[in-house]
Amino acid sequence: MRRFLIALVGALLLFAAPAYAQEKKVLKIGWAQDPQTLSVFVDYDEESYRIWAISYDLLVNFSPDNLGPAPGIAESWDVSPDKKTVTFHLIKGAKWSDGEPITSKDVKFSLEVLGGNGALFTGYTDNVTSIQTPDAETVIVKTKKPDARIVGGLFIFMLPEHIWGKQSVKALTTTYKPQIPMVGSGPFVVTEFKRNRIVRMERNPNFRGSKPKFDEIQFIKYGSEDAVERALNLGEIDVITEVQEATFDRLSKSKGIKTVKAPSPSFTELAFNLCSKEHCPDAKFNPAVQDRTVRQAIGFAVDRERINEIAARNTSFPGHGILPEYYKDFYAPPEGDLDYPYDPDRAREMLEAAGWKEGEGGVREKAGQRLSFDLFVRSESQFNISAARLVKEMAAEIGVEFKVQVVSVDRLTEITTQKVDGKMAPDFDTFIWGWGGDPYDPSTLLGLITTKQIGGSSDSFYSNPEYDRLYEQEAGEFDLDRRKEIVKELVAISQRDLPYLVLTVDPTLQAYTTDKLGGVELACPKPDGDLICDQVSYQPWLTLGPPEPDEAGALASSEDDGGSNGMLFVVIALVAVVLVVLAVLFFRRRRGDQEAIEI
Amino acid sequence: MGDPTAQLARLPRATPEEIQQLRAAYGLDKPLLGQFADYVGDTVRLDLGISQRTRRPVWDEIGDALPWTLLLVGTGTLLATVVGTWLGIVAATRRGSRTDDSLLGFSLFTYSAPEYWIGLILILLFAVAIPVFPAGLQMTPGEQFESFWAQAVDVAQHLVLPSIALMLVLLGQYFVIMRSSMVDVLTEDFITVKRATGLPWAKVVRRHAVRNALLPLVTLSAIYFGFVMGGVITIETIFSWPGLGLLEFDAITSKDFPMLQGAFLVFSVSVIVLNLIADCLYFVLDPRVQSA
Repeated sequence: MRRFLIALVGALLLFAAPAYAQEKKVLKIGWAQDPQTLSVFVDYDEESYRIWAISYDLLVNFSPDNLGPAPGIAESWDVSPDKKTVTFHLIKGAKWSDGEPITSKDVKFSLEVLGGNGALFTGYTDNVTSIQTPDAETVIVKTKKPDARIVGGLFIFMLPEHIWGKQSVKALTTTYKPQIPMVGSGPFVVTEFKRNRIVRMERNPNFRGSKPKFDEIQFIKYGSEDAVERALNLGEIDVITEVQEATFDRLSKSKGIKTVKAPSPSFTELAFNLCSKEHCPDAKFNPAVQDRTVRQAIGFAVDRERINEIAARNTSFPGHGILPEYYKDFYAPPEGDLDYPYDPDRAREMLEAAGWKEGEGGVREKAGQRLSFDLFVRSESQFNISAARLVKEMAAEIGVEFKVQVVSVDRLTEITTQKVDGKMAPDFDTFIWGWGGDPYDPSTLLGLITTKQIGGSSDSFYSNPEYDRLYEQEAGEFDLDRRKEIVKELVAISQRDLPYLVLTVDPTLQAYTTDKLGGVELACPKPDGDLICDQVSYQPWLTLGPPEPDEAGALASSEDDGGSNGMLFVVIALVAVVLVVLAVLFFRRRRGDQEAIEI
Repeated sequence: MGDPTAQLARLPRATPEEIQQLRAAYGLDKPLLGQFADYVGDTVRLDLGISQRTRRPVWDEIGDALPWTLLLVGTGTLLATVVGTWLGIVAATRRGSRTDDSLLGFSLFTYSAPEYWIGLILILLFAVAIPVFPAGLQMTPGEQFESFWAQAVDVAQHLVLPSIALMLVLLGQYFVIMRSSMVDVLTEDFITVKRATGLPWAKVVRRHAVRNALLPLVTLSAIYFGFVMGGVITIETIFSWPGLGLLEFDAITSKDFPMLQGAFLVFSVSVIVLNLIADCLYFVLDPRVQSA
């Protein structure tokens, strides 16, 4: 037994203290979920997007400054006077990572095949009537009506036609998996993909821009978000691109770790069922929800700051309308009352003036109608549930009752999308959920409440011809200033009618260790965007690198000391344990012999 | 339960038609009974389908994960059997002593403590406070190993904490069974006879008592090996160990039903097969069973 113990301790010591020697400049990023297949045609997870955005260009890239149009595969572009033809001039001499030239054939293939069949990429080219390639460096895109998304809003990755084009569309959208190493045009390309373990990206030798400072980026899969955060604390990884709300604050206070909180193009909204008899003859809901004054009163009664502070633990941003502040080029805060500053007295006055009098249980009533609404929320999001409880609490103050119902995401999908006889039949009064938009172009988010989207993405079933008209105008306007004016009008209308009360703008939460990562310049949009322009642009990777020696030198040496000290402690502790165990065994053995005689 | 395509529904550009197509592709538009018939038919043909998350055959996913689970469960069970048996013998030969009491207390404590708690405590002690072992994963990520030996040492280092956690969880059962079995044997007449012949106590215990007391342990090991195969979800998740448990966990979080069904099938089959093996072993080891 003693021999066994000693052998065990010896074995443990032999394996202890792993050495992490490295010569290459490698950055390690931890995540709890990894990509499905990395095929642009089938995956729909954020992790894949993260990799694609580093591997590929767009026809027109997103500028890290303001996410506006910046040269991508196209160096420049001209818009025809009727705004229906855009001519792109491709960058000269650019090559794929395998050395093949990047040509107009690749662009045409990507826009047509990926834009027509990719799970996440259809819809962008709806207005396109033809794509012509008069020569290898020119692409002419024609649309049936002016579409501003053609420049700066075509979020379709440019793929090498000589690789993907060999496959049939059927294969691409079902079984095809990209060959490793993947061929791309970005600063890094995937050279290893082991599911459940690692995605390794190495420098693209043929990248046309400046040489990145890291040789390699590794994405390492852990079992859970907690394990990822532990790994960052232990220095096993250097960056986390998705920190949990619950632990963000604690990570911010850890030594040697910096956290980043950036606005994102997604928001969380309280949505109202505004479906008219015409669109939804069989819908079931409390008609009082369609009284605009009631919605506006709720707008004044809900303290969005408080929802951010309590439900989101201060990691989000209070919402100001349907377009998040992230859209720097288009965003203007709604003015005055249209921003719904927290004012419960005002809310009560409005309801009172509109004839809603307090009735049974403090719930206001008018002509047999009660201000009592179902509020559906999905069980997956603790944040949404807490937000719903706060909305309920705050609305109760003005005599509006919300009955919070926590349901699965499927159930919520069902009650917002169900149909009867081919017509929408939504079965809810209100719900809390969220949407995410494109990196630059505001049309996706603004389009959510157009009449055209009823039966599609619309889940408020709002319909306003004036809004629809302005939306069409906005989507076809290439002039930034004029477009911004129209967007402001659209936001004002949506704030007045309030199909959505946008509660918070969701954040991008990230963290990194300061001794491994330097050259940090938050971007997308500057100056307070995110660390790596996650899922949007590879530009930050050209400046990110190991920190300068004077920044990290002190940190590194003190860490080494800690390591060897720790080792010493363990040796002492283990020796002590072994001695104690041996002593106990020795004495017990003798006593045991004596006791045994009594059997 | 949920419809896996629901995750697509909030993507701004997934039209209802696209969602319908997806549902049809996975057979989710069929009635429940039809789906079940499909499942049974495929399973009989040993076709576990394609994982919805990774689009690889479920068998391939299981094949990748199984060796890691076997390594972890094998090491953990082996450690638990050896240490548990040894402690059981120590306690039984010192019945009623303080050693016995404290060992019993210790093993009941580790047996009843939740797995994830034990895992976290081990990580806190040996990866955070005194950083001697890695806190997770099965090998240093991204490392290019010079030799097989270097890789084996690296894997072994990563194996230490999770297998000790698993050992602590399983230890109690082996200890308690071995202890009571030993106590039974030690009170039998033939032990007194052996002692009366003047054989040293250590030899009596080792040669005569332990061998007889080991029988129930054989079955227990085999049965528990089967259970543990599919049941180390918490430990694998905490230590990011890429075995079947983590595979199941990921499948649950991403609603990957074919993957889950496949993993559970492997789990149930392994329980049944190992039970059978245990019964057969018993037959070989104990002549009394043969004659009965």
